[in-house]
Amino acid sequence: MIIDLKEMTLLAAIFRELLKGGHISRRDAELYAQLNTLQDAYRALFKAQGFELVCDSRGFYYFVPEQMGAQVNKTAQRLALFTFILVEHLADQGRDPLSVLDGGSLGRDELPGLLDKYSDLFVQAEVASQDELEEKIMRRLTQLGFASEEQGVYRFLAPMHRFLDVCLAVQQDRDLAASLHSHLPLPTPALGDDSESASAAEDDDEEQQLARAIAAERAAQEDLQ
Amino acid sequence: MIDPKRVLRALAEHWSLLDPLCERFDSGTLSLVELRAQLAAQRGTADAAEITALLDQWIRLDILVPVAKSPNRFELNAQIHDFLAYLRREHRLGLCLEIEAYLRHLERLAGHIQEAFAQRDSQDLARQLRLLDMRVRDVLKKLANDEQALVGVAERAKTSDRQIPLRQRYAEVLATWDEYVEPMIQLVAADGAFEQGVRRAEQVLLHLLGEQQRLGQLVDDDLLLRTHARILDMQTTAQLTLRRARELLLPLREEARRHNAVTRGAALALAAIRRKGLDGVPQAALPLFSRPQSIFLGTANQVEAYVYALARFEAKPAHFPRAGGTRRHMPSRAPLTAREMIERCEQALPLPDLMQWLLDQVPEGATDELLYWFSRLSRDSRFQRERLARRDYLTREHQVSLSSYALTGRQA
Repeated sequence: MIIDLKEMTLLAAIFRELLKGGHISRRDAELYAQLNTLQDAYRALFKAQGFELVCDSRGFYYFVPEQMGAQVNKTAQRLALFTFILVEHLADQGRDPLSVLDGGSLGRDELPGLLDKYSDLFVQAEVASQDELEEKIMRRLTQLGFASEEQGVYRFLAPMHRFLDVCLAVQQDRDLAASLHSHLPLPTPALGDDSESASAAEDDDEEQQLARAIAAERAAQEDLQ
Repeated sequence: MIDPKRVLRALAEHWSLLDPLCERFDSGTLSLVELRAQLAAQRGTADAAEITALLDQWIRLDILVPVAKSPNRFELNAQIHDFLAYLRREHRLGLCLEIEAYLRHLERLAGHIQEAFAQRDSQDLARQLRLLDMRVRDVLKKLANDEQALVGVAERAKTSDRQIPLRQRYAEVLATWDEYVEPMIQLVAADGAFEQGVRRAEQVLLHLLGEQQRLGQLVDDDLLLRTHARILDMQTTAQLTLRRARELLLPLREEARRHNAVTRGAALALAAIRRKGLDGVPQAALPLFSRPQSIFLGTANQVEAYVYALARFEAKPAHFPRAGGTRRHMPSRAPLTAREMIERCEQALPLPDLMQWLLDQVPEGATDELLYWFSRLSRDSRFQRERLARRDYLTREHQVSLSSYALTGRQA
């Protein structure tokens, strides 16, 4: 295949956007139009560089990182959690979640209520205040091309389908459903292993450090014996 | 008998009043007071005598009929209502069972036709053929009406307010699918009542044509051929109606199903996160992002700091196990963190006896460690607790006497 770089006038902008984990949809009209027109050329060029460009038929483009180095990062977990919460919140209110998340909008003024109602879940994602919700979730959504923000209104874009797909995948996960509906105890959580403690230690609070200290001391005593 | 001309004249003359009334009657009956109020509003007059005269006329012509056992409530005569609905291009979806009943009747008529021919009764044969033809026309009329009604169902679902829940918006679609389309699929299937009825009638008619040529004519061949053609037309129309119904309603039904699946999936995921934390959602399902990667060189200061850190790097001293030392334990497990312990405790709620639970959880635990956890968990503000009587507990090394707690649930 012959790739004409002269035609790819927006290559730098497109690459920059995709490389940072962003999604290009109709919001970025120019980039999206060029990707649509020169889809094959862009895909071939990026493939040669080791990037897999995904052209989702629902109207957006993104890079799939190589499986080797890929891992679900905290951001993905946070954004997925936010999507689950929003779907349930809208359904509870008698609104249609799909029409909101597929091109619909959400006012910033709705965020405090959401945070209040689901504070126990947001805490797990280390989101405890409205500022953190906006900083760690809403800003990331707009940065990565899942939503756009204008005058206090967030409009959700086509890439949100990636998270709606997660809902569908979870719904089809019979094991998960079975484990939730079973009255048997859940499998005990895996004990933290040493390799991850280095990064985890930073987040630990005083009590966790104390627990570790007790264990370390006991191990040392055993060694001496 | 009611004079048809007078009925038609009354309908034509009062069409502007009857047309809006039809909509009201579509959703139920009206009391005399409601009827009067409605007519007064439409005519812009409060002349009670005039309205009474109008209502009298409609009742005399059987346009309005009293509701059985409620003489003060009225409804449109069913025949007139159907006629007006036809004029107003309104179609109400019928029942699949009605079509099935018609088809069973077709089969019976085919049997009667065969008998009439066997008895060489030309008059009865012609009558039965006419009945068969009329019945087929009834089915065709019904199919055409149902198709229009289905278009209406789909349009109402698509144009209704997007803000109301999808389950409500698509309730009619889902009900129509279950009550009309599914039974129609069964009916029109190769071994369904439709095919059976059509095949039976067709066989009889073709047999009759052949026999007439052999034994002589009892009825005009054209009548037989016309009826046969209409039956085939009915079969094609039924298949087309069914196809159209599927085209119209299937995407909407799928959308509703997808919506339900998304909502259920989100609820499941949240339940998993509540019980198992953020990692409770299957990681394979989550989208992967390429992480923002720095592709630029740092500033001179950053490079300098990095080299400085490298130069001063000191490896942590490594502790090697002694060769002769006997290990009393299996490779030591990393200790449980407070968060993990609290999570376990939350999942195990309600706990009749916290200390006993700790002994079960950490059977090999040292006394000081168990007491630490007991103190930590019993003081935790997220649990509701009740003090228990003092008793003795046996740890691995000691006998401990204390007043334990029952953790009854989460603090509201």
